[in-house]
Amino acid sequence: MTSKGGVQYSKIAEIKGPLVVVDDVENAAFDELVEIETTSGEKRLGKVLEVGHGKAIIQVFEGTTGLSIAGTKAKFVGKVMEMPVSKQVLGRVFDGLGRPKDGLPDPIVDKFLDINGAPMNPEQREYPREFIQTGVSVIDGMLTLVRGQKLPIFSGSGMSHNILAAQIARQASVVGTGDEFAVVFAAIGVQYSEAEYFRRSLEESGALKRSVLFLNLADDPAIERIITPRVALTVAEYLAYDVGMHVLVILTDMTNYAEALREISAAREEVPGRKGYPGYLYTDLSTIYERAGRLKGKKGSVTQMAILTMPSDDITHPIPDLTGYITEGQIVLGRDLFRKGIYPPVNILMSLSRIMKDGIGEGQTRADHQEISNQNYDAYSRAQEVRALAGIVGKAGLADIDLKYLDFGDDFENNFLSQDIDENRTIEETLGTLWKSVSLLPKNELIKVKDKYVEQYYKEQ
Amino acid sequence: MASNSKLETTIDKVLNQTGTEILSSLKSSLDETQETLSKSQSKLEQEYDRIVNEGKKEADKVQKQIIGSSELESRNKQLKIVDDSVQNVFSKAIEKIKTIERDDNYSKLINTLLEEATETLGTKDVIVYTNSADKDIVNSLLSKFSGAELVSETIECLGGIEIKSKDGSMSFNNTIDARLDRMKPLIRKEIATKFGLGK
Amino acid sequence: MVAQGKITWISGPAVRADGMSEAKMYETVSVGKDKLIGEVIRLTGDEAFIQVYESTSGLKPGEPVIGTGNPLSVLLGPGIIGQIYDGIQRPLKELSKKSGSFIGRGITTSPVDMIKKYHFIPTVKVGDEIHHGDVIGTVKESELIDHSIMVPPDHKGGKITNIVSEGEYNLETEIATVEKDGSSSTLKMYHRWPVRKPRPYQKRHDPTIPLLTGQRILDTFFPLAKGGTGSIPGAFGTGKTVTLHQIAKWADSQVVVYIGCGERGNEMTEVLVEFPKLKDPRTGKPLMERTVLVANTSNMPVAAREASIYTGVTIAEYYRDMGKDVVLVADSTSRWAEALREMSGRLEEMPAEEGYPSYLASRLAEFYERAGRVLALGSPERDGSVTLIGAVSPSGGDFTEPVTTHTMRFIKTFWALDAKLAYSRHYPSINWMNSYSGYLSDVAKWWTENISKDWLNIRSQAYAILQREDTLKEIVRLLGPEALPDEEKLILEVARMIKIGILQQNSFDEVDTYCSPKKQFKLMKLLVDFYNTGQQALKDGASLVDIRAMSVISTLLKAKMEIKDDEIEKLDQISNTMANQFKSIAGIKVTT
Repeated sequence: MTSKGGVQYSKIAEIKGPLVVVDDVENAAFDELVEIETTSGEKRLGKVLEVGHGKAIIQVFEGTTGLSIAGTKAKFVGKVMEMPVSKQVLGRVFDGLGRPKDGLPDPIVDKFLDINGAPMNPEQREYPREFIQTGVSVIDGMLTLVRGQKLPIFSGSGMSHNILAAQIARQASVVGTGDEFAVVFAAIGVQYSEAEYFRRSLEESGALKRSVLFLNLADDPAIERIITPRVALTVAEYLAYDVGMHVLVILTDMTNYAEALREISAAREEVPGRKGYPGYLYTDLSTIYERAGRLKGKKGSVTQMAILTMPSDDITHPIPDLTGYITEGQIVLGRDLFRKGIYPPVNILMSLSRIMKDGIGEGQTRADHQEISNQNYDAYSRAQEVRALAGIVGKAGLADIDLKYLDFGDDFENNFLSQDIDENRTIEETLGTLWKSVSLLPKNELIKVKDKYVEQYYKEQ
Repeated sequence: MASNSKLETTIDKVLNQTGTEILSSLKSSLDETQETLSKSQSKLEQEYDRIVNEGKKEADKVQKQIIGSSELESRNKQLKIVDDSVQNVFSKAIEKIKTIERDDNYSKLINTLLEEATETLGTKDVIVYTNSADKDIVNSLLSKFSGAELVSETIECLGGIEIKSKDGSMSFNNTIDARLDRMKPLIRKEIATKFGLGK
Repeated sequence: MVAQGKITWISGPAVRADGMSEAKMYETVSVGKDKLIGEVIRLTGDEAFIQVYESTSGLKPGEPVIGTGNPLSVLLGPGIIGQIYDGIQRPLKELSKKSGSFIGRGITTSPVDMIKKYHFIPTVKVGDEIHHGDVIGTVKESELIDHSIMVPPDHKGGKITNIVSEGEYNLETEIATVEKDGSSSTLKMYHRWPVRKPRPYQKRHDPTIPLLTGQRILDTFFPLAKGGTGSIPGAFGTGKTVTLHQIAKWADSQVVVYIGCGERGNEMTEVLVEFPKLKDPRTGKPLMERTVLVANTSNMPVAAREASIYTGVTIAEYYRDMGKDVVLVADSTSRWAEALREMSGRLEEMPAEEGYPSYLASRLAEFYERAGRVLALGSPERDGSVTLIGAVSPSGGDFTEPVTTHTMRFIKTFWALDAKLAYSRHYPSINWMNSYSGYLSDVAKWWTENISKDWLNIRSQAYAILQREDTLKEIVRLLGPEALPDEEKLILEVARMIKIGILQQNSFDEVDTYCSPKKQFKLMKLLVDFYNTGQQALKDGASLVDIRAMSVISTLLKAKMEIKDDEIEKLDQISNTMANQFKSIAGIKVTT
């Protein structure tokens, strides 16, 4: 931070979509922060996307509505966009660009940090292995979340993803540690009611004082959405690595983020990749998702839970597709389960937690955890096959063993998967329910579990 | 930077004067906070009794909620007080600057501001704007900046200069106001830490 | 004269500079005040188009660009093994010493420790005539690697006039002097080689030796040969990375180069944490002692991602030239292709399919062509190999997209991952109907000579059962399983057993993670025997219900994880139990 100002230019060559092109620019840097001043004196922020040959292309976060060629001025601020951070940001509400939205003065600043962060050196990463108990059985038992993991929720419009994310934010804890915990919530183009649900949920659990909220709502400028997750993650990194807190970051809804990116790409007339999204969507998303993790020699961690609604529930759509290639698994919500009224409606077969294996087992959860989870996956997958078959040949056409799998499937959905939105189950309860469900099957069906565990936990019914 | 340290001394001076004032208002804020906390304590106890039959889990939740929100409330009150104090310091500093003596040191400051501005624009072929108080000083310095012209109309500011390229496409604001504005977050932090807040 | 120009334009990783008429194509340049590393990728007039390997945030037009005169090269010498490099061979550990937890910019470091001393044993003497590629001595690089010091492939050779005696030397020591046509040159323990230029060899061999990975579906059903090429495409969540890690862990090669190209940071960390703890099943030494990592994760600058593939394959070729078998794993070539696409877009080149540049296919071909089992240059005679395995991440899991389709043209083993199998938790989720291997008949000889003369026959029978099941499944889908006669139901039953007992393999299970060739064969033979005996039993009057109820079935299915490699004779006991149980059920039927 310097007290030196930037040069203001007034030769606007072109305004198209979210972009402003300035001519005769001598001294601008790539990625530099720009302050646009309208004829009425209003100030908007933007950044340099391309510079050279006397021209600078600026992306205006707050939109170009009302800007004119004559009278609009662009001031190049002489630095990249920064977020002022300190522990004082806890308990505060900011807009999508990181400015206070709660009517209170700016927080007292400790540091100004580049919102783009820098790539973590893979050699300096600490491999995530600490089990986070969310109290949600399907996650703890089958899709275990680990500190420093990035585990998104793939949902569809209207489903209960926000309720689930809020429940996780309220209940998540690492058993047996007194470490400080924080929640950073970034609303990216979501409706007021959804953001408010989240805020209230944090308030009711007393977690608001260790939370930071960034709100870009549905009626806020779309291009601002490019910035919102970045300011949120900058704060999260500060709280994790400077203050030493364990931070859970919730980003909702990343689909709106990707759409803002597409809008800019279209305005720049770039060659599009799939479905009109830019070819660099993967790389761009990775600069957000890869900002989760743990670092050697640092106490805190950043755990990320991005929420995205899959257009037409299509998991092969570029946004969920590219997200899944970057994140360490995904929690997929199923329309069928949702319609059946099951909460949380997690389709376990399409879901996965990649680093679960390292966060569970002896010393973390329990020695049989991996195997009993595998057995339940296997059995549920078989139950689904049998259900499909029963649809064709009827229950009468099924063998005895198939009928047992049907019973298992129902029990699994009703007793293990289903739970109340404020029900906080311990890992012991969760594993117990998993054994109870598979105990509906004959003993010799349990081929994914070592004999010693079968002896210990299987209870014939 | 010379110009900065000058501003800083001014602010330091003001700070010393207003220090006691701020401290006393901070103390009253702390008292108030204490009061809020003790009030909420009794409120908490009542609440607690009321719902103890509804289960421990629920009670814990409400306890967390009440403590959480009262802690936040008092923190926010402190923040407001700090902010008021900062405003206070700023307006006093501005008063000081307004009446500052236009001596040799001041003309050195203006010279630095001019140098910096022309360097940033990359040209001395500029039009210079200033306020009526600084007009003479600027004029006397312009001989060193061949190509620079001072316009007759003045601008509203505490002091310092603003320059524009002759074709009007570029401008650079190096008034004291602009500089103060840019330093504001840092000054706020400094004030806050001086009174043991901030971290 | 090196080029000295000025930046005129910046857009992300792409920079243009003028005053660059001295610059050469693919020359490395230093960009801007922060001295970022870049590479010239197009020259027009005196303007150079540069891809920058570091973040260009804050770079301004007018800042200097200075040529180095050299193409992008890697340093080849002892000290590479066990390292983790970024895409342009900067050791990440050294970077962290200079910039902490996050990667800073404009940092230059030596790829290997130039001061560390190695025990050098010369293998040539004064007066010997040497040629390019000749081994002049060896050093012990790691517990697993004897590192040959070779005359660089572009050296003109000559007569040794001086060579140091056996002893401790560092990389900068001049260990030998060579004279030819009156001029003399010196040799050190390292040399540099441009990454985009394949290292030369004398002659290519046919790949006939299997690359054994301890993964049943790979080794038994879709084998890869040493010096061959393979590809593993799959949607996210299908287990590409786990399979690649398994190969890197257990492949019977002497060196493994693992390139994390545009993938997750934690995956590289996992390798770094896990490999030093794992022991090579053949030597008992830590796996890290044979592994080199090249990590350019997805959030690291995109241009260095493009370079990382070449950096990796050049290192692989170097160890091949010592006469070693090297496996190179590239995860993922799709991200590399995307880096090409991004730079091509910024160059405003005419795009071909899905925005990829028209030269995508030829770049892929050039890469896979660097695989092979070869007779290295120089003496003594030595054979080495580079096996290339590329992951492909097709968007939406669609195998008709350009990177997958072009890759399929240049590789011979294709491991097709299947999201449906992954959803049903069948891992590795390699689809046995869509995968293929062009090396099956080449490697059959090895299996016949070393494991069993019945290998090809048993494998064919096992695969036939899976093929029959695939067609029967259609009928079941329409009519239900009860519509099939018992002998066909038995096919379904045994196919299920093959899937669970052989094809599925748990990489996280201590025992199942690695399966020796002998155990692979025995497990497969047990199931084929089960099938044949079962069909005979049905003919002899046994009922399918009885067969299904045999207790040996769950023993068979758990054998992969319950029986260790050193207690393989237990499989023979299972064989006996199985025969007895069949006898008893067939017997019961006969008497009633």
